Amino acid sequence: MDVNALLKKLSQTTGLSGYETKIRAEVLAEWGRFVDETRTDKVGNAVAVKRGYARKAHRKIMLASHMDEIGFMVAGFSHGFLRVSPIGGIDARVLPGQEVIVHSRQRDLPGIISSTPPHLLKPDDRSKVISLDQLWIDVGLAPAQVNRFVSIGDLVSIRRDVTELKNGLLAGKAFDNRASVAAVAVCLELLATIQHQWDVIAVATVQEETSALGAATSAFGIAPDAAIAIDVTYGVQYGSAGNEVFPLDKGPTIGIGPNMQPKMTQGLIEAAQRIKLDHQIEPMAGSSGTDGWLIQVVREGIPTGVVGIPLRSMHTPVEVVSPRDVEQTGRLLAEFIGGLDEKFYESLTE
Amino acid sequence: MKETLQKLVESFGPVGYEDEVRAVIRQEIEGVADQISVNKLGSLIAVKQGSGRGKKIMLVAHMDEIGLIVTHIDARGFARVTQLGTVYPIYHIGGRVRFASGQLGVIGVDRREDNNKPPALDQLYIDVGAKDKPSCPVQVGDVACFHRSMEAVGNRLIAKSMDDRLGCAMLIETLRRLRTTPHEVYFVFSTQEEMTSAGARTAAYSIEPDVALAIDVTDTGDTPRALPKAVELGKGPAIKLQDSGMIVDPRVKEWMVKRAREARIPYQLEILRGGTTDAQAIQISRDGIPTGSLSVPCRYTHSPSEMVDMADVENGVKLLLALVKKPIVLSDE
Repeated sequence: MDVNALLKKLSQTTGLSGYETKIRAEVLAEWGRFVDETRTDKVGNAVAVKRGYARKAHRKIMLASHMDEIGFMVAGFSHGFLRVSPIGGIDARVLPGQEVIVHSRQRDLPGIISSTPPHLLKPDDRSKVISLDQLWIDVGLAPAQVNRFVSIGDLVSIRRDVTELKNGLLAGKAFDNRASVAAVAVCLELLATIQHQWDVIAVATVQEETSALGAATSAFGIAPDAAIAIDVTYGVQYGSAGNEVFPLDKGPTIGIGPNMQPKMTQGLIEAAQRIKLDHQIEPMAGSSGTDGWLIQVVREGIPTGVVGIPLRSMHTPVEVVSPRDVEQTGRLLAEFIGGLDEKFYESLTE
Repeated sequence: MKETLQKLVESFGPVGYEDEVRAVIRQEIEGVADQISVNKLGSLIAVKQGSGRGKKIMLVAHMDEIGLIVTHIDARGFARVTQLGTVYPIYHIGGRVRFASGQLGVIGVDRREDNNKPPALDQLYIDVGAKDKPSCPVQVGDVACFHRSMEAVGNRLIAKSMDDRLGCAMLIETLRRLRTTPHEVYFVFSTQEEMTSAGARTAAYSIEPDVALAIDVTDTGDTPRALPKAVELGKGPAIKLQDSGMIVDPRVKEWMVKRAREARIPYQLEILRGGTTDAQAIQISRDGIPTGSLSVPCRYTHSPSEMVDMADVENGVKLLLALVKKPIVLSDE
C-alpha cells in the first residue's frame, strides 16, 4: 500500500461533521478492497466487515476511527461577506488569511478568511486574537449578488493540499483523524496475510468532532465484544512540554487509564512487544477525548482500548504526521487482532 | 390553541416535577389520541395510528420548565435556593415564585458592594413572609416555579415557560387537526429536558422511531445589540441546522425545507450557538435516529417573560401537519 498517497487523498477530501458523504465514499472504496462486506449505517458511519475464521462463537472487534473534520457553516451576511459558525473545535488563532471553499448549492466557491490590515487596527488590538464572530469570509461577491449564490447553512471547508516536509513528514488538514483511517486501511490489508479468529468490524465514524454521535450509535448497532478507538494525539513540538506529548516517528501510543479496559491496554502492549514495534504509553487520566469515551459505556459496557498517532499542530490546516507512524499503527492493530482468541475473551471478565 | 397554551404556561412544572403539566395535557388529548401512556420517567406518550403504510415518527416537546429548589432556611425564615435548569439571576430580582403547595414568595437579593454587577444565584433568597424558621411554610427540597401570568401584546404573547409549553401546545393542536396520516405518529411530552433530556432519551429508546423531531423555542437575533443570529420574531418557524449539542441530519433538514416550500409556509434556518434540545439526546439513541428540530423564535428565553409571535406558532403547526401527513423521504445530499 502506498501510505503517502492514501494519506494525501484522505486529507484532501472534504467531510465536515454531519456531512461526510464524500469522504465516506473514499473510505469505503479504500477499505472495501480488503474486506468481505461494506455498508453505510443509519447515521452515515462507514462500516467494513472482515470475517474471522472461527466457526463457532463469532467474537467481534470494532475499530473506530472518525472520518469527519472541523469546519464552518454559513450563519449570516454583511456587506457581501459571510459570517460563519464553527463545526467542531475551531481554533480562531490560525484562521485569518486562510483559503476556504464555500460549498454552495450550485457550486463550490473559492473564498478567503479576511483580515483587517494591521495599519487600520488600534495598537492594542494588533496583538489580540480575533474571535470567530469578527471573522468574515470574502468570496468576492457584491452585497446584492451574495444571496443568489450562498445560503445560510452552506458549508465552508478549509482548502489545503498536503505538503511533504523533510524526513518524509506530511503537513495538511484533517490528518485528525484521516491518519487513523489510513492506519486502519494498513491493518485491514495486513489481515489478509494473518489468520484471525475474530470478525473485524472497522467503522469510520461520523461527528466525532461535535458529539461522538457515530461512535455511540455504531457501537450500539454492532454490539462488539471489544473495541479500539484510533485517534491522533499530541506530538512533541516547540512550545510543548510535560508528559502529554509524544515524539513523532517513535510509533503509536497505547492509552492507559479509566477509559481503557486494562486487558485491552495490556493486550496491545504485548502485541507491540511480540513484533518488537516501537510504541509509547500514553496515560489518560480522564476522558480520552476520543470515540472510545462513549463506546465504553454503550449497552452493558464494551471493553475498549485507545491507540494514538502523534500529530503536531492539531486542529490547524497544517497538521504534521509521520506516515511511518501510520504504518506502525496499522501493524500494531493487525498483530493485536491476530492474537485474539477465546482465552482473551474470557480474560476480559476475569 | 391560545386557551390551551395559557393553561399550560401557567401550570407548575419545574424539571422533575411535571405532574401538573402532564395532567393538563392528558385532559386536552383524551379521546383525540388512539393510545395514551406514561413511561417510567414520567413522559406522556400519545399515539396516532396511521393507515399502516408509513413510518414511525416521534414528535417531542418538553413539559418541564426551569425553576428553583430550596437548599437552606435561615433563622429568620428566608430560603436559599439553587437552580433546576439554567437560571439567570438578572431576570428574577423582585419577581415571584410559586411552590407546589401554592405558596408564593418574593425573590430578594443580598446587599451588594457593586450594584452594577449582576448578582450570582447564591446572592438571591426567597421571602415567603415567614417570621422565623419554625413558622416558615417551605422546607429544604421544596421546588418552585417562577410566577407570571400569560399576556397578549398585539399578536405576540408573553409568558413564563413558553420554553417549552408552547411546543406542548403545538403538539396538542397538531394532534387535534390531524385527521389521517400514513404514519404511526408518537406525540411525546417529555420530562427533564432542561437538565439531562432524561425523558426524551428514554422515550426514544423504547419507541425506536424511524425519524424524530423536537419542537422547542430558540432565541432570536432581532433585539437591540443581540448576538448576531439570522432568526427573527414573526418570520416563520425555524428549521434547525446546528446547535451546541448536535448537527441536524442533512436529510431531515432537506425533508423539512421541501415540505415548507411545497406548502408555502414561511420558514427560517437556525444555527444556535449556546444550548441544545431533546433532539440531541434522541439522535444518539440506540444505533442512531435521524433527528431534526422545529424551533419557534422566542425573545428573552429563560426569563419569566418569553415572547413569541402567534403567526410563527400557527405556521409551525401547519408545517408539522405538512410533515406528518405526507410520505417521508430521507435522501442523501
